[in-house]
Amino acid sequence: MEEISLTINGKNISCAPGTSILNAALQNGIKIPTLCHHPNLEPVGACRLCLVEDEKSGRIMASCVTPASPNMVIHTDSPTIKEHRINIIRLMMANHPESCIVCSQGNRCELRQIAAELGVGQIGLYPMPHYTGLEAANPFIIRDLSKCILCGKCIRADHELVVVGAIDYTLRGFKSRPATVHEMPLEKSDCTFCGTCVSLCPTGALSLKNTRYVGSPQNESSTICGFCGVGCSLVMGSVDGQIVEVNPSHKQDTVNRSTLCVRGHFIHDFLSVPERLTSPLVRTDGDLSPAAWDEALELVAQRLIGIRRKNGPQSIAFLGSSKCSNEENYLFQKMARVILGTNNVDNGSYGSGRTITSRINERLDAGGRVKPLAELERAEMIFVIGANPAESLPVASYYLKRASRMNGIPLMVADPRKTALVPFSSLWLPLAPNSDYAMISGLAAILYKRGSYDKDFISQFTEGFDRYGEDLSSFKLEGVSRVTGLDGELMERAADLIEGKKIAFVIGHGILQQRHGILSMDALLNLALMTGSLGGEGKGLHFLTMENNQMGAWDMGTAPDFLPGRKSLHNDLIRKNWEQNWEVKLSPDPGLNTIRMIEEAEKGNLKALYVMGENPLRSLPQPERISNALKNLEFMVVQDILATETTLMADVVLPGAAFSEKGGSFTNMEGRIQSFEQAVAPPGEAKPDWEILGLLFAKMRYPKRYSSLDKIKAEISDLVPVYSALERNEEQTWIKESSNSRLFHLQGEGEPIHFSPVIKTEPERSDEDYPLRAILGSLRYHLGSGTRTAHSVRIKDFALKGEVEISLEDSAALKLKEGDQVRISSAHGSISREVMLNPDLRPGLIFIPVAFHNNDVMNLIELTQLGEANSPGWKECRVRIQKVEDLC
Amino acid sequence: MNLSARTEEKVMFDHIASMLRTYEKKRENLMAILQEIQGKYGYVAPPALQMVAKHLGLSSCEVYGVATFYNQFRFNPPGKHQIRVCLGTACHVRGGDIILENFERKLEIKAGETTPDREFSIDRVACVGCCALAPVAIVDDTVYGHMAPSKVEGVILGFEIEKERKEREKQDSESQE
Repeated sequence: MEEISLTINGKNISCAPGTSILNAALQNGIKIPTLCHHPNLEPVGACRLCLVEDEKSGRIMASCVTPASPNMVIHTDSPTIKEHRINIIRLMMANHPESCIVCSQGNRCELRQIAAELGVGQIGLYPMPHYTGLEAANPFIIRDLSKCILCGKCIRADHELVVVGAIDYTLRGFKSRPATVHEMPLEKSDCTFCGTCVSLCPTGALSLKNTRYVGSPQNESSTICGFCGVGCSLVMGSVDGQIVEVNPSHKQDTVNRSTLCVRGHFIHDFLSVPERLTSPLVRTDGDLSPAAWDEALELVAQRLIGIRRKNGPQSIAFLGSSKCSNEENYLFQKMARVILGTNNVDNGSYGSGRTITSRINERLDAGGRVKPLAELERAEMIFVIGANPAESLPVASYYLKRASRMNGIPLMVADPRKTALVPFSSLWLPLAPNSDYAMISGLAAILYKRGSYDKDFISQFTEGFDRYGEDLSSFKLEGVSRVTGLDGELMERAADLIEGKKIAFVIGHGILQQRHGILSMDALLNLALMTGSLGGEGKGLHFLTMENNQMGAWDMGTAPDFLPGRKSLHNDLIRKNWEQNWEVKLSPDPGLNTIRMIEEAEKGNLKALYVMGENPLRSLPQPERISNALKNLEFMVVQDILATETTLMADVVLPGAAFSEKGGSFTNMEGRIQSFEQAVAPPGEAKPDWEILGLLFAKMRYPKRYSSLDKIKAEISDLVPVYSALERNEEQTWIKESSNSRLFHLQGEGEPIHFSPVIKTEPERSDEDYPLRAILGSLRYHLGSGTRTAHSVRIKDFALKGEVEISLEDSAALKLKEGDQVRISSAHGSISREVMLNPDLRPGLIFIPVAFHNNDVMNLIELTQLGEANSPGWKECRVRIQKVEDLC
Repeated sequence: MNLSARTEEKVMFDHIASMLRTYEKKRENLMAILQEIQGKYGYVAPPALQMVAKHLGLSSCEVYGVATFYNQFRFNPPGKHQIRVCLGTACHVRGGDIILENFERKLEIKAGETTPDREFSIDRVACVGCCALAPVAIVDDTVYGHMAPSKVEGVILGFEIEKERKEREKQDSESQE
C-alpha cells in the first residue's frame, strides 16, 4: 500500500496507512508525552496526554488512537495543547497522594516526570486523594491503589500479554480501580505473580516488595534470565553491588517482549543470600576450610592428573551444567576430553530428555532446530503434548494462550491432568499416563484411513511411508482406547482438528521423561512427517527445555556421546577433525552419562568427579543411593554458587559466579544464542566459572591461555560451525543449522527422512500394592530441583507447602480431607505431604509438585537410564497413600 | 450458613446451570444473563458469577468488572429484613449518613452486605419520596421517619424480640405435640 504523507510540527513525514499519529510522530523523532501507551499493548486512549491539534479542523484528539490520514497538519505542542496537558496532569495530581518523598518509584515515576517536563509544581486545586488500603501481604507485589491513575496498562498486560484475567476495572467513576474478582487479595485470585503489571505501572501503584528499603537502583544492566529455557531478556537494577530489581528488557525483539514470570521477576533475590559461596574451600582434617585460589586450583590439578595417571582416564568424570554458559561448557568438556582424555562428560539436564533429543537429532540430522516461539502465533494448529508450560515455562505458555485467544488458532492439549492450558484449548485429550505412544499412533491411523496425509511432502522428503501405512492400516483402534482411556469419538474429533492442517508441536517433560519416551517421540515424528508438519514456519517441533542453557550445553558437547556441534563421537570423520582441532587422540567410545557415573562410583571404578553448577544430591532420584555412591569417590571437586548438599561432600569447593556476575552466552529453547554482560561483581573471592576453568587449564600446563571470554568465543566460532556467529558478540543471533536431510537443505539435496515402524503396546498392568499413579511436575515458583529457587527469601516467605493433589473420588475412598497429613510410598521410598483436593484431577491420579521439601519426591522414583527399554521414567510412579494418623 | 440455606443455594446453582445452557456462548449475552440471575434470586452469588464466566469463556474478573459497573447487581443474598437508608438530598442534609453508619455498626456489615445469619441486609437508596420525614429509613415495608441514631437499636431489637417470640412459640407447640 502507498505511504501517506502528513505534516507534524511543520515537518513533512510519511508513514504506512493505519499508523496512529502517535506512532508516526515517534518514528520521526517527535516526542509526545503518554502515560497509558505501550508498544506491546493495544492503544486505549485512557490518559489523554497524547492530545494533538489538527490545524485544519481545529479538533483536538488523542494521537494514540487516531490514525494518521493524508495531508493532516498536526501540532503536538501548541499553546492550547500544552494548556490541556497541564490541566490533565493537575487533575491527576489532585487525585494522587502527595507521597512522592517516600514512594519507591521515586524519579522513575512517569507522572512525576511529565509533570516536571510541563512545569507543573503546585497544582492549585483542592486535593482529593482516593485512599485505599495498602496491600502487601504477598511477598512479591505491593499494591497501593491510591496512586493508581487508571492508565489500564496492568489490566491490558494481564489480558493481552499474559492472558490470565486476574484483574480488571471494577466499579465506576471515582471509585473505579483495577482489582481482582470480589476484591480478593492477589494470592487468592488467579494472579500468577508474573509481575508484568509491576514493570509497566507508570506510577508507584504497583511495586516490587523488597525486604528492606532500597530506593531506585544505582545501575541497570541488560542480561538474560538464568532460570528456564525460554531465555528472557532482563534489565537488572543493582544497589551497592546487589541485584534489587528485575524487569523485562525494554527492547522489542526479545523472546519475552514485556513479560516475565514469577521466577524471572521476583526469585532473583536468591543471588544475595548468605549461603552464597565466597571463597574456595579445601577439606583438611575432615572439614572444609577456606583456602587461597592458587592452593585450591593446584590441588585440583594435581589430584586429577594423579588419579588419571594411577587409574586411567576412565576413572575420572565431569558433570557439567545446563545452567552455565556455552563458553564454560565448551571449556569444561575440552578439559575432560583433551587434558584428562576421557569422554565421561555429561550435564545436569541428562534427565530432561537428552536420549530422546539425540534420537530426533539423529532422525532429522540436526535439522529443524531453530524454532522461534513467535511462530506459534502464526501456526495453523498447535498440539501441546506432555507439557504444562503455564507452570514450567510460563513465558512460553503466554505464546500459546495468545495464539488461541487472540488469533483463534486451534489448540489441542494431550495431558492426563487438566492443565491451565485446557480452558484455552479446542480439545483436551485426557489420556492415561505413559499412553502417548498409542494415542499418537491412533491419530495417525485414523488420518491414514481417511486418506488425509500430505502426499507431496511424503514423496519429496521421506522414505518408508508404504511400510508405515501398512502398519497403520493393521493398527487396532480399540486397543488405543483400552490403553489410553480415550474413547473412539474423542479420537475422531482430535483427527478432525488435525486433518488438513500443518501442526506445531509443543513437547514437554511428559514425553521427555516418560517410560516410553523414545517410542512416543518416534510416533510423533511419524505424525509430523505424515502431515507435512516439518521444515518451515508455523510447524515443527518445539521442545520445552527446562533450563536456561540446556541447548547450549548439549551443543558444546557436554555429553558422553557427542562432540561440540552435537556431532556424534562414533563418526570417524568428525572425530578425526576434532583430533586435529585439539591436537589430541580421542577415544571413539562414548563415556559415562550421569547415571552411569553414579553406578560406576558405586562399584568403586570411578575415583574422581568434577561437578560444575549441579547438585546431583537434590536433582537425581534416590538421594541416599547417590550420597553413598559419592562417598566412594577418592576426590570430588564441586564448583557452584551456593552451598548445597553436594558441596558439603566435596573435597574442594570452588566458588563460581551466577549469570548476573559474569559474561557469556546462553542458547534458549528456540535456538537463539544470547550474549550477556556482567551486571554486578561476584561475591567475595568468587570468580566467573570460565575464569576458574581457564586457570585450571593453565595449572594443568595446557599451552593455550584462556584469559578472556573473547578467546573462548573465538575458538568456539572457529571450530563449531553451528556457532560461527558467536564471535561477533552480538546481543542475539541464531544457531546455524547444517543438516544433510533433504527437507532442511537449501538446495533440496540430501537424505530423505525415514518413517519408524509401528509397534503394539499393551495397557500397563495395575499394581495392587501401589494402586495410585503419581505424576511429578513443577510449579512455577520453583525451577527444576529448586536448589536456587528454594533459597529465595520471597519464596520462603510465600510458604508454599507443596501439597499432594488428590481427586475428590480418591479422597472420599481414602477418607482424606484437605490439610490431612499423608505418607506417600512407592516401591523405592516414601515422603510425607499435606493433602489438597483437586476437583479437576481424575480418579486414580495424584499430583506431587517437585522441588519442595529439599526435593524429597526424588525418593519415590528409581535411578534408571531414561529412554532405555523398560525404564520406568521419572515423570510418573506408582504409589499408595496412607493417612499419617492411621500409621501411628 | 444453616442446612436449609445450603440446599437452597444448591438448588439455585442447579437452576442457573440449566438456565445458562439456554444462552449462546457469546460475550454480548453477559448482561442478559446477569440480569436474569439478579432478577430471579435477588443477587449474583460469587460461584454463580464464576459459572457465568466459565460459560462465556471470560475471566471471572471481567464479569465482576461489568457487574460492579452497574448499580443493579449485588453479590450478597438479600436479608430477610431489608434495611434501606435514604441518602437523598434532604436526608443527607439531615444526617442520613449517620443513620446509615449506625445501622452498619450495629449489624457489623457495610451497605450492600448481608449479616451472616441472613436476617438483615443494608442498602443505601437515593430519595424515597417523603423528604418531609427526613432522615428516613425503610425496613421491609415500614417507613421510619425522623430517624435518629438512638432509634436504630430499637428497630433492630424489635425484630430480634419478634424472632425470639416466634421461636419460643415453635418450641412450645413442638413440646405440646
